[in-house]
Amino acid sequence: MSGWRLTLRQAPAVRVDLRGVLPAALAGLSSAQIEQVPVGHGNALVPLGEFFTIQSGGNDDTLAFEGDLSRFDRVGWQMASGRITVNGPAGHYAGGCMTGGELLVKGHAGLLAACEMTGGQLTVEGDAGDFAASTLPGSVDGMRGGTLIVKGNAGARFGDRMRRGTALVFGNVGDFAASRMVAGTIGIGGSAGAHVGYGMRRGSVVFTTVAPPIAATFVPALVEAQVFWQLLARDLARHGGPFTQLPKRAIERHLGDLAADGRGELIVAR
Amino acid sequence: MIENGVAIDDSFAEAFPMKATRLIITAHNLTWALNAAVSATGFATSVIACGCEAGIERELGPEETPDGRPGVSVLIFSMSGKELAKQVERRVGQCVLTCPTTAVFAGIAEGEAIALGKNLRFFGDGWQISKVINGVRYWRIPVMDGEFVAQETTAVVKCVGGGNLLLLCRDTDAALAVSEAAVAAMKALPNVIMPFPGGVVRSGSKVGSKYATLSASTNDAFCPSLYGLAAKSEITPETRCVMEIVIDGLTEADVGAAMLAGMKAGIALGSAGGLLRISAGNYGGKLGPFHFHLRKLLAAGASS
Repeated sequence: MSGWRLTLRQAPAVRVDLRGVLPAALAGLSSAQIEQVPVGHGNALVPLGEFFTIQSGGNDDTLAFEGDLSRFDRVGWQMASGRITVNGPAGHYAGGCMTGGELLVKGHAGLLAACEMTGGQLTVEGDAGDFAASTLPGSVDGMRGGTLIVKGNAGARFGDRMRRGTALVFGNVGDFAASRMVAGTIGIGGSAGAHVGYGMRRGSVVFTTVAPPIAATFVPALVEAQVFWQLLARDLARHGGPFTQLPKRAIERHLGDLAADGRGELIVAR
Repeated sequence: MIENGVAIDDSFAEAFPMKATRLIITAHNLTWALNAAVSATGFATSVIACGCEAGIERELGPEETPDGRPGVSVLIFSMSGKELAKQVERRVGQCVLTCPTTAVFAGIAEGEAIALGKNLRFFGDGWQISKVINGVRYWRIPVMDGEFVAQETTAVVKCVGGGNLLLLCRDTDAALAVSEAAVAAMKALPNVIMPFPGGVVRSGSKVGSKYATLSASTNDAFCPSLYGLAAKSEITPETRCVMEIVIDGLTEADVGAAMLAGMKAGIALGSAGGLLRISAGNYGGKLGPFHFHLRKLLAAGASS
């Protein structure tokens, strides 16, 4: 047994829904069977072989996509195990509702990347769109566990309603980062837009480089919380990039959002 | 068997299964970590009335602790996981939570989890914050010097309690010198504690008593004041002071290694230092599953 390599034939006319195309689901199938796996294409179901040429290759329990998948949504949707690599950009909902395994997107990701993720790791080497690590429309909780790493920039509403887990952006984030955050950890290596932590109840947002504009509903903390900071900083440091030096840096904290529960904190490394 | 003038009894120490956990207590500096650790392991010499047997395993440098501060590792032993959980909660709650600048972490990862900060968090009166970092939950409890950070749980492992050595010496000075040397040698080893004051107990006990309510009473055969009075005595006119060292360890091998180190330290002082005989306490081998034969330990120590 080995993994599978799916190479895009040509960009589809309308968006394709790749839910169900997971390493574990394809593991026991032949390439002919995989070609017949139905995927949503607009309002029709179309065999996977219409879009991709299918070859075996790579390690067990792996799946690699080659080509520009920016019109392919829900890559790694509800993935529980294995490893998916997208050698190019991915569409919306990449890694949404993941519970385990690893998803690596070597290009940009669309909207709602890692939304409602509960476990595993999604790494986006390019930029992520709006609502990464956040919630599906209508849900109470956003990301609930696991790790999201965005090595480029992220859009607005990063970590909206996030409850647990770690979501890191090496670059900048848009407006309303960590809005309505319930708990968990967000790290931002670049600058943040307006309204950081809007309505956040608990959770930690770490800024490694640029202090964000801080709303009047946050209060400066008098105490550094050194023990907690060392535990957190050492964990974030292993993700590299702008987080590497965090354990050696002093911090200032701002507590809020007092308009909500007020037990969250914005942590600015000095 | 005689080593450097010291008679080694053909006897064995009989030890029992217990439950243990290790806690890492850190603080702003070593002084305050030690203050907390000494306090938390106080009144913990014997499970008979203390509920647990506890001691300081060793001091930890800043590079060895989860938060990069100086710390102390502490071992706590009890007869059951339930009693251990009760003791951990009381001792951490009263002695570590209260001690300036401290934080507390689990020192053992694998095993059944018992509460560490899980219930102490309610001291925070709603201001406490939970934080999951790399899959481990911590509680941050606001206190008057900042915040007290405690890992949610610690792990319980099966272990071995009640390894022991009886050191029969010429007089009080010799007995103290020999037992101090033996305890110092054992303290250099990991995974063991000697729970009695200074590691040494002078009130060794035998099973049973003339009083029906007592399950253990003074070891009259080793009491020099009963020489010539007790029906059976191990005391001779030359051996007039006896000390016992009790060892609790995480594994059978750890207890054996500590007993060997203690014996070697005693033998090094030898009969010239006042140590005349080494024996060990047992109950005929029927009660405890772990038997540490003194001569076998020495033979294994000599061959390795």
